[in-house]
Amino acid sequence: MSSVTFTDTTRFYAGVEKPAVDGLDLEIADGEFLVLVGPSGCGKSTTLRMLAGLEGVDDGTIHIGDRDVTELPPKDRDIAMVFQNYALYPHMTVGENIGFHLKIAKMAKEEREKRVREAAELLDLTAYLDRKPAKLSGGQRQRVAMGRAIVREPSVFLMDEPLSNLDAKLRVQTRTQIASLQRRLGVTTLYVTHDQVEAMTMGDRVTVLSDGVLQQCDTPIGLFARPVNVFVAGFIGSPAMNLLESTVDGEGVVLGGTRIPLTPAQRSALTGPGVVVGVRPEGWDLGEAGTGIDAVVEVVEELGSDQYLYCRTSGSDKVFTVRTPGMAPWQRGEKLGLAPKPGAVHLFDAASGDRLPDA
Amino acid sequence: MSAAAAPSATPKPVRKAPRKPKPAPGSRRLSPLRILGSVIVWLFTAGNLLVLYWLISASFKTPVEIFTKPFDLPYQWFHAGKPFRNFVYAWNNAGFGDAVLTTVVLVGLATVATVAVSAPAAYALTRLGVRGSGGMTNFVAIGMGVPFQTVIIPLFVVLSKIHFDNQYGLFVLYVALSIPFTVFLLTGFFRSLPDELEEAAAIDGASPTRTFFSVMLPLARGGLITALILNAIGLWNETLLAIVFLKDQAHFTLSRALFTFYGAASYQSEYGGLIAGVAIVVLPMLVLYLLLARRIITGLTLGAGK
Repeated sequence: MSSVTFTDTTRFYAGVEKPAVDGLDLEIADGEFLVLVGPSGCGKSTTLRMLAGLEGVDDGTIHIGDRDVTELPPKDRDIAMVFQNYALYPHMTVGENIGFHLKIAKMAKEEREKRVREAAELLDLTAYLDRKPAKLSGGQRQRVAMGRAIVREPSVFLMDEPLSNLDAKLRVQTRTQIASLQRRLGVTTLYVTHDQVEAMTMGDRVTVLSDGVLQQCDTPIGLFARPVNVFVAGFIGSPAMNLLESTVDGEGVVLGGTRIPLTPAQRSALTGPGVVVGVRPEGWDLGEAGTGIDAVVEVVEELGSDQYLYCRTSGSDKVFTVRTPGMAPWQRGEKLGLAPKPGAVHLFDAASGDRLPDA
Repeated sequence: MSAAAAPSATPKPVRKAPRKPKPAPGSRRLSPLRILGSVIVWLFTAGNLLVLYWLISASFKTPVEIFTKPFDLPYQWFHAGKPFRNFVYAWNNAGFGDAVLTTVVLVGLATVATVAVSAPAAYALTRLGVRGSGGMTNFVAIGMGVPFQTVIIPLFVVLSKIHFDNQYGLFVLYVALSIPFTVFLLTGFFRSLPDELEEAAAIDGASPTRTFFSVMLPLARGGLITALILNAIGLWNETLLAIVFLKDQAHFTLSRALFTFYGAASYQSEYGGLIAGVAIVVLPMLVLYLLLARRIITGLTLGAGK
């Protein structure tokens, strides 16, 4: 078990001017579960594949513990990887799939079988050890892929969207299983996903990437409570944060009828007159029409536990998402007034996208 | 039905699944093209079956039966109690005994050698990311476009100069002439295998050689078997090169022996025996194909992905 350190790691793809991963500095602590999240094409899989040794590193270094692995082939890195489509060997049984690495490492047969059996028991696969992957369900295949990784007792687990091929219900179940398994084994894990719910629920820390550049690396709570820029604010949280462009007016910004004051520190951090005001769907106080921002309910999404209202404002013609308790009596076409709750406002500089210092 | 096991259940009307589920709407419509297509396919199949029937039935007939009742079932030899008389005649007079041995050994070795050379070549061309591999693949494939009949004279001149105008030279030629097609066929198979399997093998610590033998080769088994069968059939039937290069009757291949036998048998009006000889040459390949056709079709990569 060991830490992982990316230092100024950069990766170019042939024929593309812009690097796929640009000067990544990231440290994963020993035993930590770190999730890389971002939209497609943001470089998260490339980062993982560089750590796996499946992708070259054009600039910078990667360390596992104290070892510089930048130029090492995958087999010498002491890592195990779970692929998105599992990449099980279709001509081998489950047992052979799980034990393939141990066989290559020339482990004695009894020891190998013991390790495979232990891994199978841990993952509830004992009954399927003699089956071929084609005879397994999606969830079972996913567990075989996990088994292949844990049987090696590596210093780092790499997981490349391992849940994206499961159906929604199984995904939620497996999510918890993987997270608890990782905590039990205590193996440093780098987990790639595009699903921010997975990222928030599984990771000790979450790293948000966009266009190959690290945006923010923080605990799920930190990401949610203090997004460092407009991109992270819009990406983390479901439904997304409401972002509204506004301009500085004297000593504050005006949002609908509400005036939000800016501190001197915030004002000096501004690079232009533009400010982006962000309010999460749960950050609104709902009142009578005429108080705060006037809006009309356009769509009501009832989830049982929650209700999402999509409200069109009369002035700016923007649609705001508002979260209310489930089974609330809101109807399409109803008029209401929206006011941000105190402390629920996130302020960003419109030109740079960066968060303004908190008051 | 175990309806009795559930006491509370009132007897439900028995639902029977249709023997053939309904096709998607519109997919069964009879278009002129579809009708024309099926007519052609069925005519082609019927024609082939007819030829096969004629060949097999005629190989049991007397020459008189062959010419007077070409599509009747054989009668005379069965009536005489010697149904396999034609086959015995062909076997004894055409020298098929030696020829079968020569052909099996020659075709077997040539086919195995072809695949043994072509499989690693195809793997290297598609998978190792060698510079210029696309061009090299095309270069190998060009070999398919050269009709070997056009190079037969230079080949003979060269091989006879080095005293290779015999079954050994023929072996080399068979392998060389089969490689372009086999490499081309196998590059397609290797290219269709998912990248992740190789990456998984690399992470599991397998060397490229190990990956080739324990992961990729078993997955390309369908392709390898296809290549083996197609080459075996082609080489088994090959006649022209055998006629040109084989001079010693003791080392004739089946098709070469049949060619000699054709002259002798038609001179003696032994048409039943001649057709039995043709059947001896043709039927083993048909049986081989029927036995292995399913294996060619069965996809082995099923279940590799999600």
